Amino acid sequence: MNGEDLINRVLREGEREADEVEVFYARGESVSTEIKKGILGTAEESEAWSMAIRTVKDGRIGFSATSDPDRWRACLDAALASGRLSTPQQWGGLPKPTDLAGTASSSDRDLVVTVDDAAGMVADLLSGAAEHPVEVVGGGANLARSYMMVANSSGTLYGMDRTVASVSLEAIREQSTGYEFDASPFRADIDARSVGEQAASLAARSLGGKDIETGRYDVVLSPIAAASILGQVLLPALSGRNVKAGRSFLADKVGDQVFDESFSVYDDPFAPGLGSTTWDAEGVPTRRLVFVEQGVLRRFAYDLKTGYRYSEESTGSAVRSGGDPPGIGFHNLFVDGPRVKEPGDERAVWIHDVVGAHTANPFSGDFSVEISNPFWVEGGDLVEPVRTAMLSGNVFEMLREIGGLGKDSRRVGRLTIPSIRLNNQQIIGK
Amino acid sequence: MPDVRYYDIRCVRGEITQVDIDNGVVESAGTSFFDKAVIRVLGPQGWGILTRDHVEIDSKREVTDLIEAAARLAAVTQDQLDLADAPRGVLSVPPLGEDPRDVDLEEKTRLLAGIEGAARVDGVTNTRARYTEGIDTVRFLDSEGNEYSYEAVRSGFSVLAIASRNGVMQMGSERDHIITGFNLRDKQDLGRKAGEVAVSLLDAKLPKGGTRRAVLDPELAGVFTHEAVGHASEGDLVREGASVLGGRIGEAIGCPGLVIVDDPSLPEFGFMPVDAEGVAVERTEIIRDGILTSYLHNRETLAAVGNGVPGHARSEHGAPPIVRMSNTFIENGGATYDEIIAECKDGILLIGSRGGQVDPGRGVFQFNAEYGYLIEGGETTDMVRDVSLSGEILSTLHNIALIGNDRKMSPGYCGKGGQSVPVSDGAPHLLLESATIGGRGE
Repeated sequence: MNGEDLINRVLREGEREADEVEVFYARGESVSTEIKKGILGTAEESEAWSMAIRTVKDGRIGFSATSDPDRWRACLDAALASGRLSTPQQWGGLPKPTDLAGTASSSDRDLVVTVDDAAGMVADLLSGAAEHPVEVVGGGANLARSYMMVANSSGTLYGMDRTVASVSLEAIREQSTGYEFDASPFRADIDARSVGEQAASLAARSLGGKDIETGRYDVVLSPIAAASILGQVLLPALSGRNVKAGRSFLADKVGDQVFDESFSVYDDPFAPGLGSTTWDAEGVPTRRLVFVEQGVLRRFAYDLKTGYRYSEESTGSAVRSGGDPPGIGFHNLFVDGPRVKEPGDERAVWIHDVVGAHTANPFSGDFSVEISNPFWVEGGDLVEPVRTAMLSGNVFEMLREIGGLGKDSRRVGRLTIPSIRLNNQQIIGK
Repeated sequence: MPDVRYYDIRCVRGEITQVDIDNGVVESAGTSFFDKAVIRVLGPQGWGILTRDHVEIDSKREVTDLIEAAARLAAVTQDQLDLADAPRGVLSVPPLGEDPRDVDLEEKTRLLAGIEGAARVDGVTNTRARYTEGIDTVRFLDSEGNEYSYEAVRSGFSVLAIASRNGVMQMGSERDHIITGFNLRDKQDLGRKAGEVAVSLLDAKLPKGGTRRAVLDPELAGVFTHEAVGHASEGDLVREGASVLGGRIGEAIGCPGLVIVDDPSLPEFGFMPVDAEGVAVERTEIIRDGILTSYLHNRETLAAVGNGVPGHARSEHGAPPIVRMSNTFIENGGATYDEIIAECKDGILLIGSRGGQVDPGRGVFQFNAEYGYLIEGGETTDMVRDVSLSGEILSTLHNIALIGNDRKMSPGYCGKGGQSVPVSDGAPHLLLESATIGGRGE
């Protein structure tokens, strides 16, 4: 018993003991080819199957998950047992079936999960990297296809396909390293050769960097560096759960001009992307959500549980990872705004990436990180590498005044983001 | 099967129990199940690897089919790798004090709530605590006739407190994870400490960035050991040319007297009775008296690189084994804490860890302290917050001026190649000369 039969069985059996039952089911296959020392070292193929069950009884929510179809009964019993211990809360029911508006685009019919195609992508990565005098130390290609489904005892049943193609390459020249990557649902979006070339170029060009003195400088965060820092601090602050729990710096600031007026943040689940979907991980229809509009904070993201508890409406923002219960997240998040001035036109320190972004303080917004592949930028060109340094600042403060957004928006996971110029920032040299 | 030089199968089946309490509300308390298998085949050249949910390891037919499928994958690889011979053997797993399976979920929830409640001291506006328990049953067999099985039990918790005043928010957090039994009793002190740190950080200063003397407490010095030395000594990174420590065996890379060890046989949170490819585990001295002595290896990297000890292959459930640290530490020196603070004279004392990261190819690392104190005239003075430290692997160990005599191990999780595994690291208090301190104070 597998797939829909099993789901129906779990829903029926669960309803005997709970008011409501939900099943989230996912299965997938993937292949990956990994580069070892400049050649194709390892080929891997995965198949995965998982089922997560939620039960609701008198406002008590239970949860369990399993990767073994034969243990569905134990999983259901564990979900019911877990529900008996959770604190009861206001609950208005799992979503009923509805006609979904919009279309989602997160699956590529032309993407075939074969080791041959993944091996071809590795060959392209390596040929791109060969354009510069570097050693390739790692990287690889991955192709994946999955199917996921949410069903509940109110009759909701949605299913969708997802595909992912991704590549990465890490190069080194002496003690100068370069790393690049890309991922998309669409095989044709991935230019493996260009990713390999970019990584190698970073390693080759960062060699022989000059020291920088401690002081205040204008900096340009590349889309990758910006995504790392904002992802750690800004995104958690937009979660309704953190807001209501007193863990968000942005709580009580809806309607305020919190950031520079050139800075907007929105989630567009209907845009093509890794998180594209018309229903969220609880089966609530998704919608376009503007969180920050020209610097003004407009709203937060909610799932059903947090929404019901605090009398807010779910914004269709539930996501899942692994075998965890659903939580609040984002589908296809965009950082956007008018492009008035190119961030790198006037001299600044351009920062490709940072080391240690996860150590930022998500509540206060303070961070100090090591910077990777920094260059002096002038007239839009990277003119001279900088050896090494730290960047210290506060995310919430620095976004109040932005010196320009680049025309170089790119995908970094589920975030699409341009380079961001920030003037007068603290750099600590060595 | 002519194109199969070697194969192994590792199955991990088990349960994860988690309790999550947020501001007094039991958000979730329950158990989930997993059953993962990894099948590796070494073909004429490199590895073909399959990962599956739920494999019947006792079914000859199923195993044969999987090996054939993995062999077809191996055929596309171009690597020229061999496996070194390595000692075999399985240590016995340390006995459990109290088996967490004998404690019902209700009691676990009540005990965790006690820790979470203890964090709610005056000034704290949010508290959150999580209990995590893992019961893994591991089975392994390979084409060389080795077979083993063992059970691993992990139990522990983390607690977070957030204090806020006039729009300023600060946090304190504590955690404790062990492999020797149920670990939620009599732990309210850690909750209280998280609360108290959060509240006192409201009045802490932002440190000024720059180069100066720093004293690291045992927890942070452990993270320093892990980031500054541990990763760069991993044989896979050395083999791939991605570590600045490559080709430096026999070189003095640290101060005299410095001993850095990775020891998977130690009954700390990174313990394993045997490694993930069936090799016996043993204490490995990475650095002896300041000299780089050994890399950490699996069978493949030992064959390719040499100069080191195998038995360091580890994997997350359902992922292929890679070279990892386990329990990593600096051995005690002779200095007392008071001597270290006095010798520092003017500098900064850094306490606790919010994590760290390293670029081993470039030889640069960064890590962040939970808080610290300025040291002025040989005494600790004002509290500081949001302070991190960065450095370069090849010079930083020469800058250790004093090694304390009070080593302590701290549990945590380490991420590499998308896999997270339990580890512990530790050190005594350390005095570092010319440390690069990141802080945004003026």
